[in-house]
Amino acid sequence: MAEFDCEETKALVHEYLHNELLPDQQKDITTHLALCDSCEEEYDLEVYLNQVIQRSCDEEPPKKLAEKVLARIKDIQSH
Amino acid sequence: MVSTSFCEEAQLVDSEAMASSKNTDSELKIRDFEQQALPLMPQLYGAALRWTRNPSDAEDLVQEAMAKAFVAWGQYQQGTNLKAWLYRIMTNTHINKYNKQQKDPSRGGLDDLEDWQLGAAESITATTTRSAELEALDHLPADIIRNSLMAIPEEFRMVVYYAVVDGLPYSEIAEIMGTPVGTVMSRLHRGKKLLRILLAEYAIEQGYLSPDKQAQKTEQN
Repeated sequence: MAEFDCEETKALVHEYLHNELLPDQQKDITTHLALCDSCEEEYDLEVYLNQVIQRSCDEEPPKKLAEKVLARIKDIQSH
Repeated sequence: MVSTSFCEEAQLVDSEAMASSKNTDSELKIRDFEQQALPLMPQLYGAALRWTRNPSDAEDLVQEAMAKAFVAWGQYQQGTNLKAWLYRIMTNTHINKYNKQQKDPSRGGLDDLEDWQLGAAESITATTTRSAELEALDHLPADIIRNSLMAIPEEFRMVVYYAVVDGLPYSEIAEIMGTPVGTVMSRLHRGKKLLRILLAEYAIEQGYLSPDKQAQKTEQN
């Protein structure tokens, strides 16, 4: 199995983090990250950015929205 | 004559029975929809906020998408991915509405157009260290993160949202957005890159991130 160089490793950061790689590729990158500070930093940053995005996008829907949706589908059904 | 004939009576009973079975069917349909689709409404609202970028339009989009989903409920195959089905309806609802409201010719070729932006962006993040960028993220309030997400083109924004916040696999995002998986991949990469650049720009502006100092540090190392 060919090893990934830094450029290839950095290019696959999202596929790795979202589990979109083949198990062998995933394993090779894990190995590379353990040995390469520069790539590991890049990965850490993306992981942290993902967490920050998740935390920021947590808006609750307005309380009345479910009622409004229900009223609307009942209205559709009665016509 | 007061009494109805047997035949007429039978017809009356028949149509009443039909009406009541129709009622039961429609009650069942509403109950099914209420039990299965309605609990997914908060997730739909989250995605709708990303499409529309404001709460009142997001509410409208959710209501419209839910209404369409209810009308099409018979076409939903039980046991398949309901959330993806609803998201897909919402994508179509939003795109149809947007296309009717305004035709923007500059929207064509979006996936090729951003290269110059990305080039400029990379030169900013090239002068900062990853650890300084990571530290700066801690200083950024949630509304700055949300606004930056709103500032990137919607095709990128939605893919970032679905992948990062919703945790959907690429194949599902492709289905929802009506694009090949390769497009999902490149939009996620570009979207995240643009986002990082916007956030780095903001952090530099606010003094949380100093490109020169960090570049010097890197040189010393």
